[in-house]
Amino acid sequence: MEPSHSTKSNPETAILIDSKSAKGKSTAAPAAITATTKATPYRKGGWKRGVAIFDFILRLCALIATLTATITMGTTDQTLPFFTQFFQFQASYDDLPAFSYFVVANAIASGYLVLSLPFSIVCIVRPHAAGARLALLIFDTMLLAFTTAAAASAAAIVYLAHNGNQNANWLAICQQYTDFCQRVSGAVVASFIAAVTFVFLVVLSAVALRRR
Amino acid sequence: MRSGALEMGSEVAKGAASGPVNRGAAVVDFFLRVFAIIATLGSAIAMGTTNETLPFFTQFIRFRAKYTDLPMFTFFVVANSVVSAYLVLSLALSIFHIMRSRAHASRIVLIFFDAGMLALLTAGASAAAAIVYLAHKGNSRANWIAICQQFNSFCERISGSLIGSFGGILIFVVLILLSAVALSRR
Repeated sequence: MEPSHSTKSNPETAILIDSKSAKGKSTAAPAAITATTKATPYRKGGWKRGVAIFDFILRLCALIATLTATITMGTTDQTLPFFTQFFQFQASYDDLPAFSYFVVANAIASGYLVLSLPFSIVCIVRPHAAGARLALLIFDTMLLAFTTAAAASAAAIVYLAHNGNQNANWLAICQQYTDFCQRVSGAVVASFIAAVTFVFLVVLSAVALRRR
Repeated sequence: MRSGALEMGSEVAKGAASGPVNRGAAVVDFFLRVFAIIATLGSAIAMGTTNETLPFFTQFIRFRAKYTDLPMFTFFVVANSVVSAYLVLSLALSIFHIMRSRAHASRIVLIFFDAGMLALLTAGASAAAAIVYLAHKGNSRANWIAICQQFNSFCERISGSLIGSFGGILIFVVLILLSAVALSRR
């Protein structure tokens, strides 16, 4: 009976191969061989470490994207230099609740990404840490839904602002507030990039969760 | 050799313990997918059959409301239909996972598509939610009037159809979690 070795529970395991059991099944020498498996975790974790490094880099990219989105949307404030009796000529992100939710959601996503960087580093240093990877995957999934919701609702309002809607008598405000519109559109694009990055982060964590 | 046998025994025990748990998770996965199909299909149909005509008219204001009047609602219907069709197709993979608890590659493929569909569904649902919020409250700064005050039944319909879609989003998150937990056990 060939005893199998476990690389997880014991970092060092002694394998004893009897001369009786080596019936030509393995390439081991017929004499009794004692080998330690201390080096095995580092060798076997090669591709997982690469995946973890890529995960860390993607997390940095997503962090930059969400920070850009938050700051760009949060600093919108355009005042047109003329006025009439009926119209207000100041546009800022808190005029539309979808944009306020966008700023809050992207800020939460940036905060989560900053906090998850240490977990990602733990996954690089210890490629077989399944608990940290599973926790990252769970929170990445929830943040994916959260960020996509913020990005899509802001995109809907931006689309309305660009095109208006004849059926509901909603005017396209972009024709007056061009600078505001450009900033807001750029923030939405950055947030969508972050959402796509989250999808890849989820898939990477799932791939690295496999037990070989 | 005795310690080796003990280790083998513990590994076999681990495998035996996770087998029925993985199978249970796969069965839950299957039923959740069925619920998600019902939810997203219901949302698509509820939004797609909106058609309200008010019995009076003037020169300036339209008195007919359909989902095609707003492109976000069209996107909502399309997204929910695509997600329902995907879920029906993924039922086959789910049944395969019930029978074979140790399939790894197919679970990763399933997680990849589930994450993509989660993003699509969330995008559709939240875009429609933003417009529904606007329709209820309007926006004084942009001079967008709240159309719900005229179109009551249209408004109720579009608000109700969001519920099924958001339920589908929750189910997708749980589905991805289940697949991930099943992957991390042996």
